[in-house]
Amino acid sequence: MSPNARIGARRGERRTNGRGQARRPNKDEQKKEGGNFGRTEQSRLPEQQKEWSMQPHHVFELYQKGRHLFTKNLLPGKAPFAEQLVRDKGEEYRQMDPRRSKLSALVHKGCTNVGIRTGNIVLYLGVSHGYTASFVSDMIGPDGLLFGIDPAPRVMRDFVFLAEERKNMAPMLADANHPEEYISRVCLADVVYQDIAQRNQAEIFIKNCQLFLKKDGYGLLAVKARSIDVTKRPKVLFEDVRRQLEKVFTVIDFRILEPEQRDHCMIVVKK
Amino acid sequence: MTKTIFTNILGCFVIDDNKGIIEQKLFADYAAYSQREDVEKAFRAKHPKALPFPEENFPTILALFADQRYFSLFHERNIELTKAALKAAVSDDDFIFQTISTLKDLDKICNMLAKRLREWYDLYAPEVVRGIESHAQFVAAVLERQKSADSFGADLAETDVAEMQELARKIQGLSALQEQQEAYLESVMKKHCPNLLAVAGAKIGAQLLDHAKGLKRLALLPASTIQLLGAEKALFRHMTTGSRSPKYGLLYQHPLVQKARPSERGKVARMLADKLSLCARLDFFKGGLHGKEYLQELEKKLAANTLQKQKKKRVPKP
Repeated sequence: MSPNARIGARRGERRTNGRGQARRPNKDEQKKEGGNFGRTEQSRLPEQQKEWSMQPHHVFELYQKGRHLFTKNLLPGKAPFAEQLVRDKGEEYRQMDPRRSKLSALVHKGCTNVGIRTGNIVLYLGVSHGYTASFVSDMIGPDGLLFGIDPAPRVMRDFVFLAEERKNMAPMLADANHPEEYISRVCLADVVYQDIAQRNQAEIFIKNCQLFLKKDGYGLLAVKARSIDVTKRPKVLFEDVRRQLEKVFTVIDFRILEPEQRDHCMIVVKK
Repeated sequence: MTKTIFTNILGCFVIDDNKGIIEQKLFADYAAYSQREDVEKAFRAKHPKALPFPEENFPTILALFADQRYFSLFHERNIELTKAALKAAVSDDDFIFQTISTLKDLDKICNMLAKRLREWYDLYAPEVVRGIESHAQFVAAVLERQKSADSFGADLAETDVAEMQELARKIQGLSALQEQQEAYLESVMKKHCPNLLAVAGAKIGAQLLDHAKGLKRLALLPASTIQLLGAEKALFRHMTTGSRSPKYGLLYQHPLVQKARPSERGKVARMLADKLSLCARLDFFKGGLHGKEYLQELEKKLAANTLQKQKKKRVPKP
């Protein structure tokens, strides 16, 4: 990270890899994205009007309105990352940005099962500021628990403030490469989610899943091709990681996250 | 039937292979957790046959705690532990990162404001603006109001000139702050990494630390990586497209590299990186002061080297 990025990173802003992947679309763009139906058509067609009210998404615990994804806000009235809040029938929803969250990009790409349900225990490796983690916390609800792990003090300071507000989050300043450091601080998880920029990220994922993931639990791995090897083609690396995971788990979904996330793919496995 | 003892942030537990938890003591708060070893000792005395928990069975024990009644405890205890860890995580490295970044920002801001002041003062005394090249001297001149009688600048009201002088005063304050911060950076580095300071100087040393994200990592980096710190873009371009590899990164600013002839600069950067790597290791593993020796060694070598080259050149062609 450059010194300027350290100072300039506002709360809730993810580190970018210099290509501006964390940019939020501005208002005009958002309108265009969801603008399959103009306003006039909306009034003409009542069945399409339905599309514009909040509806449950086919992925559990998620909601959609047009093409946008939402989660039910755990703490109504609060938007820790300055995201859009939408009220519908007395409930409040928070909008997920696929450019900032790989989980959101995965669902945008058509994944039908991410394995996160209400009341689940989630082990989140590489929480960073907690943008995606905050949505996972919405999804698991007040009866769930999320363990968030990151080795960097700078981002962990942000995450501690988020975790203090949200009672279903537990922060940990630890290195995912050394599970023995935090084995006394976690319990068996229903879901393991990993998004870390390490060369041996697949190894770390397997190690953590074997220790902390229950049987039949889901594992979600965001593969960062640029962290593994800058010289190789991302697709080749994705296949390598997939083969590595297939030896140990059942791979149930594999999505390349272009164009929302450059050189990233997401693999969903079942133990 | 074997008994085992397992301790985590919730409490201390005696576990039977068949029956599960047979005895437990939950820690009431963080203070109780910090005395966990006493509890463990007491349990060990009570159950002399009990073993420490075997590593291969961790998933089974972790499953016992995947229970909703423990959730709020996990939340609270982990926040406390993380806060303590964050408190302890601050080191001299962080001061160096912040100071060098502040210095860079101050430099930019001072330049920007001085340029603005020149534009502004141009209305009043264009001769002064063009006559003085150094920003610092120019700002001082503005404060002294060195305007000659035959200047063709506009005759401004006293209040208008006072505003310009106010800006000049602020710029002077900022450059004073810059000097103060430079002194502070040097004092921190003298304490934290004296050898690195001696060979690289305060600014380059601090930038190296910043790029390596701390003294520990800098000490563990190979010298060839230190040579190219700050040239990441060129290095990755070299690796992906096969263009020519960079010879130096941050070290380009070092006086030894600057003094060398362009054809020699790569070699000098390599030798310098070797010594810097040694320095970082000395500093991290607390090895003593050899920085000055290394610098002299380098200077000597380079002086001899350049002489040799010059001699060769002087030989007339037959």
